[in-house]
Amino acid sequence: MDTVDVDVVIIGGGGAGLRAAIAAAASDPQLKIALVSKVYPMRSHTVAAEGGSAAVTLAEDSLEHHFNDTVSGGDWLCDQDAVEYFVEHCHEEMVQLEHWGCPWSRREDGRVNVRAFGGMKIERTWFAADLTGFHMLHTLFQTSMKYPSIRRFDEHFCCDLLVHEGSAQGVVVIDIATGEFSMILARAVIIATGGAGRVFRQNTNGGIVTGDGMALAYRRGVPLRDMEFMQYHPTCMPGTGLLFTEACRGEGGILVNRDGYRYLQDYGLGPPDPWPRKKAMELGPRDRLSQAFWHEQRKGRTIDTPHGPAVHLDLRKLGEKLLRERLPQICELARDFLGIDPAQAPIPVRPCVHYTMGGIPTDVNTAAPLPGLYAAGECASSGIHGANRLGSNSLAELCVFGRVAGEQAARFAREAPAPNGVSLRWQAQDARGSAVGLLARPAGGERLATLRDEMALAMEQGGGIYRLEPEMQATCKKIAELTERLPTVNLGDRSQCWNTEWLAAIELGFQLDVAQAMAHSALARRESRGAHQRLDEGLTERDDANYLKHTLASHVRAGPPAIGWSEVVITRSPPGVRAYGAAGESKEAAVG
Amino acid sequence: MADTRKIVLEVLRYTPGQSTAPTLQQYPIEFTDDMSVLQGLQQVKDFVDGSLTFRWSCRMAICGSCGMMIDGAPKLACRAFLRDFLPGPLRVEPLEHFPIERDLVVDISDFVDKLGRITPWIEPREPRSLEQGEYLQTPAQLERFESFSHCINCMLCYAACPQYGLDSRFLGPAATALLHRYNSDSRDGAQAKRMELVNSEEGVWACTAVGYCSEVCPKAVDPANAVNQNKTASAVSWFARFLPGRG
Amino acid sequence: MDGWWRRDPFFIRYMAREATAPFVAAYAIVLLVGIVSLARGADAYEEWLEALASTGWIVAHAILVAIFAYHTYTWFQIMPKTMPPVVVRGRRLAPEVITFAGIAAAVLASLALWILVAYGAP
Ligand SMILES: Cc1cc2nc3c(=O)[nH]c(=O)nc-3n(C[C@H](O)[C@H](O)[C@H](O)COP(=O)(O)OP(=O)(O)OC[C@H]3O[C@@H](n4cnc5c(N)ncnc54)[C@H](O)[C@@H]3O)c2cc1C
Ligand code: SF4
Ligand code: FES
Repeated sequence: MDTVDVDVVIIGGGGAGLRAAIAAAASDPQLKIALVSKVYPMRSHTVAAEGGSAAVTLAEDSLEHHFNDTVSGGDWLCDQDAVEYFVEHCHEEMVQLEHWGCPWSRREDGRVNVRAFGGMKIERTWFAADLTGFHMLHTLFQTSMKYPSIRRFDEHFCCDLLVHEGSAQGVVVIDIATGEFSMILARAVIIATGGAGRVFRQNTNGGIVTGDGMALAYRRGVPLRDMEFMQYHPTCMPGTGLLFTEACRGEGGILVNRDGYRYLQDYGLGPPDPWPRKKAMELGPRDRLSQAFWHEQRKGRTIDTPHGPAVHLDLRKLGEKLLRERLPQICELARDFLGIDPAQAPIPVRPCVHYTMGGIPTDVNTAAPLPGLYAAGECASSGIHGANRLGSNSLAELCVFGRVAGEQAARFAREAPAPNGVSLRWQAQDARGSAVGLLARPAGGERLATLRDEMALAMEQGGGIYRLEPEMQATCKKIAELTERLPTVNLGDRSQCWNTEWLAAIELGFQLDVAQAMAHSALARRESRGAHQRLDEGLTERDDANYLKHTLASHVRAGPPAIGWSEVVITRSPPGVRAYGAAGESKEAAVG
Repeated sequence: MADTRKIVLEVLRYTPGQSTAPTLQQYPIEFTDDMSVLQGLQQVKDFVDGSLTFRWSCRMAICGSCGMMIDGAPKLACRAFLRDFLPGPLRVEPLEHFPIERDLVVDISDFVDKLGRITPWIEPREPRSLEQGEYLQTPAQLERFESFSHCINCMLCYAACPQYGLDSRFLGPAATALLHRYNSDSRDGAQAKRMELVNSEEGVWACTAVGYCSEVCPKAVDPANAVNQNKTASAVSWFARFLPGRG
Repeated sequence: MDGWWRRDPFFIRYMAREATAPFVAAYAIVLLVGIVSLARGADAYEEWLEALASTGWIVAHAILVAIFAYHTYTWFQIMPKTMPPVVVRGRRLAPEVITFAGIAAAVLASLALWILVAYGAP
């Protein structure tokens, strides 16, 4: 096995990984940096983000507003020290991207334009048409090419994290094209592998979003935090789950049921006029909108489509010209997949799984509870999203905490001792042994896709918008059963070169671990908060007395995870009532 | 569920080290009207033949992974619909002009290297600190380069470019479009450096204005326009050398 | 790469366009000969005109007109791809508009020339 020695290794070439790599390289040109990604960095799923990235910009906005929107949006499960740091640094990171060439949409006077997103008091979303993530990712990728000290391992799959005497010291990677293994030894490791949305059935995520990094850390003893919180995005394409960005509603689109009625007014988000009004109706937070859909479905007021129930996203009011200019990608998606011109007809939409709020717990310095290990981006639980992420906070997070991770890992690497090559080589051999073992199994057994589909269905049933104890228990059981069946899958492909079936099997192992952490954390949280809503008697309300704390799921060999708890950091905003629409306004008026 | 119909996918198979030459394999599938070619291939991989290899991720024509020759033309598999290829059989092959790594996967490292050589970042015309805030750029200035920044690096244009096929030293459509994107950005000051590449042997003069690259581009980047505008720029800079007062 | 241009109808059209180019060049030489003969005097010029009036040349002209028409058409079709964006009242001109304008200009110019030659000459 080849060995590569570097100072910092970064797993993940999405927005977070690239920002970290640039920060590490810029902080010290002498550092050797390895950037590992299982796809070419510009293919990472950051590319799919459409709507925009938050930063306090307008004079009438303030850090205080951004802080409050984020904390109340997260149903007070946010770590407020992290939120404070975050809102303070969004703007400079967005400006930094601008200096690197990101083609932000502009106002006539040449300043950057901002738009409104759900749950936002004042417009603060920077956007590049409806291609924001795409432009951010390509800008970061191309800018990263400026730094010769970043050595890229494109299309290399990370299959294990190497830990020696309680500190992270490297990773094992597979060169996808050849199937060859290498060991990358490093003084500090950054995980930036993105979310885990693919463990669910209908989702907005790309095929690569399989929670690998979370599982890598989890298996090495790092607990996963707040995994029960999965965000459902209210406006996705039935069937494929492809996303129609929240900007559709930010620009003035409305949601109606089968009777053409703006049903959100029945769920405490009204009144419907005047429109658009911030933090109300269609611009309420995502969890509330998705929940309203569930109720409409129960009442039989949804529309039937070949892929199940839906409601209508009506953009006709915006008119042809604005649609083409502000939401070109949305028009393309609707036309190609649904044969619909949004200027002429409403688009059928439904909630689908979108974002993983939980992940590897990190402090304000992005340090995980394992020395030498840092995490940033969707794979991390940085503490800023709490029980429900605010739209457009995630792209900003990639930059703010990506930079911190790069700088902190670089600092750590300068002081850390060299990795212990001898002990780690054994670990790496082991990792190779178990990966290659999958290929050596005798023929016969189940198809991989069967297991994957059963997992996704079980997660949807026990981890939906509303959750019931017996269903959640069934899901836990199902995941345990699938974990047992996994070693018996039959791989039709026995080649080492570009064997994507083999890698998918390794990924399914990661996914099952993550799914297990999610299902058991959900069961343990006996209250309703943000994206975790229970229908069980007595558990339908938020319970701050007992559950104003984070879940921590720790991996246990051959058994369900151990669920522990940790304190939520509260600095200045005590838990309050989350109110939107008219109720929200009168509440704010009362507070002053 | 909506009605299904049948079509045969005829897919090129090749594994270096195992196959002596590429072969075509047929897979009959059932599909619904909203299914893309990518979904057809996924159905085969999941339930028929796990060894069939192709790249994909986003499913929404933005990550640029799934470029392949579909019915003889370079297309994104996630944006080509099976319904449009009836009665079939539908031929699916790897992108032209690139070495095959396996089945439908090609080696695009040549492009990624080229991308690295076009100075694909801003070298500020005027330095500006973060505290000074953003550079001002009017919508009209943005418009001058914006469409060239829409490139998703899907490589369809390279598969469409016979000149690249004949001699892969040519910088090619997408890399030139991105070069032009930076050269046309009001914030950038590295035009002279990039023009050296434009004027060089691998630069724009290898292009004979076939124009197919722009035709197949799924993002309306119009790389042919970038290449040909740079021919003008290149000619101007060549003649400018003879003006008095120039070196 | 042998026979690459037969792979796609687009390439066949491209090769057809390229194939017309030598004819354009060749006809430029014919016209050049005309100018040279004009310079040599009225007799030489008349001789040149007469030669062109032969049956062979008339047939050739008929074919050449078709070839030139195709060349003109393809030339203007590629034109939008070779020039900087034309912005009219804040909006970029669509390529089809440029192509159409080019072809229209060519047709008008040809017509004007034809009228001039047929009726305008003293
Ligand atoms: C459709 C969609 C729209 C969105 N819109 C918005 C929006 O408008 N605003 C907003 O703020 N947020 C939005 N989000 C959320 C946001 O885009 C994501 O949270 C964010 O982009 C994640 O970035 P990341 O860098 O953490 O991970 P990713 O971009 O997903 O990158 C993960 C990286 O890790 C690598 N990787 C993973 N596993 C391995 C492994 N085993 N070995 C090697 N490499 C590995 C991958 O190759 C990839 O490079 C959206 C999300 C989706 C899905
Ligand atoms: S220019 Fe168009 S076809 Fe070429 S790589 Fe970019 S997006 Fe793809
Ligand atoms: S899968 Fe991303 S472009 Fe087709």
